[in-house]
Amino acid sequence: MKGFFRHWIVAALMAAVSGHAVAASLDLGRLFDVGKDLTTAAAGLDEKDEIAVGREVAGRTLGAAPLVADPQLQEYVNRVGRWIAMQTERPDLPWHFGVLDTSSVNAFAAPGGYVLITRGLYEMLDSEAQLAGVLGHEIGHIVQRHHVKVMQQSAAVSAGARMVQRSDRSVLVNNLIGTGAEVFARGLDKGSEFEADRIGVVLAARAGYSPYGLVEVLHKLGASAADDTSLALLFKTHPAPGERLTQLGDALAPRVAALPTGKEPAIRQVDPNTPPPAAAKAAPVEGARALQQQEEGGTTIPSGGAPGRGGTVIDPGGILRGIFGR
Amino acid sequence: MMSMEHALPALRLMLAAVLLGAASAAAQQVTLERDSPLYAEPRLDASQVTQLKLGATGEVIGKQGAWLNLRTPGGSGWLFSFNVRFQSKQAGAGDSGAGSAAGRLFGPRRSVSVTSTIGIRGIEEEDLKQASFNADQMKLLDGYIATDQVAEQSARATGLAPVNVEYMDARK
Repeated sequence: MKGFFRHWIVAALMAAVSGHAVAASLDLGRLFDVGKDLTTAAAGLDEKDEIAVGREVAGRTLGAAPLVADPQLQEYVNRVGRWIAMQTERPDLPWHFGVLDTSSVNAFAAPGGYVLITRGLYEMLDSEAQLAGVLGHEIGHIVQRHHVKVMQQSAAVSAGARMVQRSDRSVLVNNLIGTGAEVFARGLDKGSEFEADRIGVVLAARAGYSPYGLVEVLHKLGASAADDTSLALLFKTHPAPGERLTQLGDALAPRVAALPTGKEPAIRQVDPNTPPPAAAKAAPVEGARALQQQEEGGTTIPSGGAPGRGGTVIDPGGILRGIFGR
Repeated sequence: MMSMEHALPALRLMLAAVLLGAASAAAQQVTLERDSPLYAEPRLDASQVTQLKLGATGEVIGKQGAWLNLRTPGGSGWLFSFNVRFQSKQAGAGDSGAGSAAGRLFGPRRSVSVTSTIGIRGIEEEDLKQASFNADQMKLLDGYIATDQVAEQSARATGLAPVNVEYMDARK
């Protein structure tokens, strides 16, 4: 029973990062202390658990897309990220930062201090202040334990079903996963995203950067996506960049005169000798479609709108889902 | 072909020229997201040049912090940047980063070449769902960690120093 709950927790956290429920049962019981009962696990994941779960999630994400083969770039992003994380209330987490070798535009935060940004997003950035804004947003999710809180809420929701179905383990497991799926299909609530935006601005400023790097990135995303019909669904299921700008502007307006100007250092470029992003998997059909769409639409943002395996339509928002932590 | 490293200084000069108000070949159009005053200076307590209406457009001729320097039919001045949206690129104009108004304003970027997308698609939900833990990559990630000392040394060398800034609340 404990074991099943542990499985579900990790599955749910995977879902929190990928934006989708993971139905597979995972053998991750080792991540949690043996003596911890269900209630304790749900109510108060300690920091050690949080880190263990985040590490598992990050490792799986690396299984989907490897790191860009540019060690100097990776070390650079770790220096910048760590410097920003040092300005938070959780400076002693094992902060890891990485640039994933994929053309998708995305960024991920996993509990316990794991932050991954895609090469597609990284290459859109013009300054270290913009990078600081993006990393600051992700760091904000981790410092605020947003994913952990959602997990705990869904654990509470499923508590009733757990009691009723205690005798039937398979039903119980499906029920827990089902509850997790429902919760995590919605991703983090908008409030968490807006909060992470506000934190990202503040952390960048604390680290000595211009507070407005994140704002510039949101403007870029808004302008990039506005004419891309394949992104229409994104705006149905996620706060659009414009909505985030409005929220952020309202929060910032009273503070704007008092905020420091900050610096906008140049950002390190990906080593030009690094090959283009490698395919996560060989996918000639989708690739051909992507090229076709590019020719038709003139966009260089990789589209997730092509039909996926098994004829199911992949949410076009998928390429942006996870941006800054969803 | 020039590498980005070499091209950067030239690009920065171009950007500086734009910020100085020099003629910009491509107008950077923005649209007002809400009624907003256009100020004579980038401050909320500066005098107002004019009041712009939702849907009004302007040409961006510079930026400063949270402010955009706009040229509008009613005059030039400064607008709170959150109150505009950059117009997306013209259909078929190509690159969405360097070619867009926002891309130009915030610094030109190299475009992603077409070859980088042939036969390749990005990481998606399906990939994440099906992926298994990659121990080798995790080992690499561990190896890239920066210590506090290294991070601070690097930040100081870049001219960065910590600043006290309070967290902010959402505004109703």
